[in-house]
Amino acid sequence: MYLQLNSISKIFGDTKKETLQDVSLEVEKGEFICIVGPSGCGKSTLLNLVAGLDTPTDGTIMLDGKKVTAPGADRVVMFQEAALYPWLNVMQNVMFGLEAAGHSKKEQMQIAEKYLKMVQLWQYREYPIHQISGGMKQRTALARALALDSKLLLMDEPFSALDKQTINILRAELEEIWEKTKKTILYVTHSVEEAIYFADRVVVMAENPGQIKQIIPIRFARPRNIEAPEFTALRRQILDQVSLSARKSMADEFDRPEVKG
Amino acid sequence: MKTRKLAGSVLFLIGLLAAWQLLYVAATDWLAWAKPYAVPHPSGVAQSVQALLANGTLFAAVAKSMLRVLTGFAISLVVGVLFGILIIQSEYLSRNLKPLLLGIQTLPSVCWVPFAILWFGLNESSIIFVVVMGSVFSISLAVESGIKEVPPIYIKAAKTMGVTPANMYTKVIFPAALPSFVAGLKQAWSFAWRALMSGEVMSASVGLGYTLMIGRDLADINQVMTVMLVIVLIGIVIDKGIFSSVENYLLKKRGLK
Repeated sequence: MYLQLNSISKIFGDTKKETLQDVSLEVEKGEFICIVGPSGCGKSTLLNLVAGLDTPTDGTIMLDGKKVTAPGADRVVMFQEAALYPWLNVMQNVMFGLEAAGHSKKEQMQIAEKYLKMVQLWQYREYPIHQISGGMKQRTALARALALDSKLLLMDEPFSALDKQTINILRAELEEIWEKTKKTILYVTHSVEEAIYFADRVVVMAENPGQIKQIIPIRFARPRNIEAPEFTALRRQILDQVSLSARKSMADEFDRPEVKG
Repeated sequence: MKTRKLAGSVLFLIGLLAAWQLLYVAATDWLAWAKPYAVPHPSGVAQSVQALLANGTLFAAVAKSMLRVLTGFAISLVVGVLFGILIIQSEYLSRNLKPLLLGIQTLPSVCWVPFAILWFGLNESSIIFVVVMGSVFSISLAVESGIKEVPPIYIKAAKTMGVTPANMYTKVIFPAALPSFVAGLKQAWSFAWRALMSGEVMSASVGLGYTLMIGRDLADINQVMTVMLVIVLIGIVIDKGIFSSVENYLLKKRGLK
C-alpha cells in the first residue's frame, strides 16, 4: 500500500479535545482521494498530520514504506490561501521549492516552464503576485506543487475561496492535469459535489470525535458531469450523511450542556 | 499640475524666509526685545554658510559626522539584527526583555554620554558608542516585530516544500520581513542621527555638533543656526532619499502601496 494511516488519533494538548479517533486509511498509488465532512471533523488536521506539520497522538503514517515524521517535499501541500511569496514573481514562485530540492538554475527554469504551461500561466510568468487574480494565484500554487513532483499531493480546500465560475474552470483543469500526471492526491473539501467530481473514493468523516464514517468508491466515467441524475442522487445521499452527523453532534452538545464546544 | 505644486512650494519657502527676516527686524529693532547678536536672520545665515564653505569647515564637519554616524549605524545594524533574532528565538526572552528594550528606547541618547566618557574618554569611540546605544534597540525591536509578523502560512508552505529550518531565514523569513526591517531602519536612522549630535556637542573634534558649539562659544548665533539647518537637511535627505524610497519600492513591488 502506498499511503497507510494506521489508527491515527490526535488530541490537542491545550483543549484535550479528541479531534481524530482511530482513523485508518489505505491509499494506492495514483489514487485521487477526497475527504469530506462537517466543519470541525478534523479533516484538515488529518491532512496536516500526513504533511508532517503536526504529529499524531497515536498511530503511524507510512508513505511508500517510510514513516512520516516531519514535513518534506515528498508531500507538498496546497492550501486554501495560495501562500505564494509576494517578493517573487509567478515564475520565481514556481521555482522556489526546486531550488531547495537542489536543482540547477537551468533545470529550475525548464521544470517551471513545463508546469506553468500546464496551468496556462506561461505568458504571466513575469507578473508580480499582487497583479494576478485569485484563480491565477491558485494555478500558480498548483504549478509550484506539481513542479516538485512529490509522491503525494495534499490539497486543503484549494478552491473554496474562489468564485463559482473560477472553481468550475479550475476543477476541469485539475481533473485534466491529474489524468495526465496520475498523481496520488489527498483532497480535503467541504463540497460534496467537488468530492464526487474528483474522487476515486470519497472518505466521509463524522465529528466529535473525528472519525471515518464511510468510504464510498465513485465509479462514474471521467470527466464527470455534475448535472447527471446519478451524480446528483449520490451527492444528496452523501450530503445527508454529512449533515446527519453535524446535527447529531449538535444534539449531543445540547444534551450535555457541561461540554462546551 | 506638478509645476504648479513646485511653484507653490518655492513661494512658501520665500514667504517663510520673509517672515523670518521680518520677525528678526521686529524683535531686535522695532520692539527691541532681543539683542541683535542673539537672534539669527536669513542674510546672516547666508553669510555664515558662505564663510563655513569657504574655509572648508562645513565640508570637513559633514564628512566627519557622516563617517561617525555610518560607523555607528553599521555596528547597530549587525548587533541589532543578531539581538533581534536572539529575542525571537525564545519566548522567555521575548516576554521579559522586550518591555525593557521598549523602555530603553524612550531614553534620550544624551543620557548615555556620561557612560561614554567614563568608558571611552573624550574620543571617537565615545561618540560612536552613543550612536550605537541610540539606535541599536530600535533595530532589534524592528527585527523582532518584523519576524513576528511573517504570516505563518509562508513558513508552513516552505516546510512542505522541503525548506530546512536552517534555510528558513534566508529563503522566507528575511525576504518576508524586509519591508518592516526597512521601516525600522528608517526610525533607527533618525535615532542614530540625533544621538550623533548628543555625542558630538560634548566632543572637541571636528564635526557638525562641534561646529555648532563653536558658534555658541563665539556668540555667533548665525553659525549655530547654519549648523542646525545642515543637520535637518542631511536628516531629511537620507530619510527621504534612501530609506523612504527603498521602503516605497518594496511596498509597491509587493502591491502593498
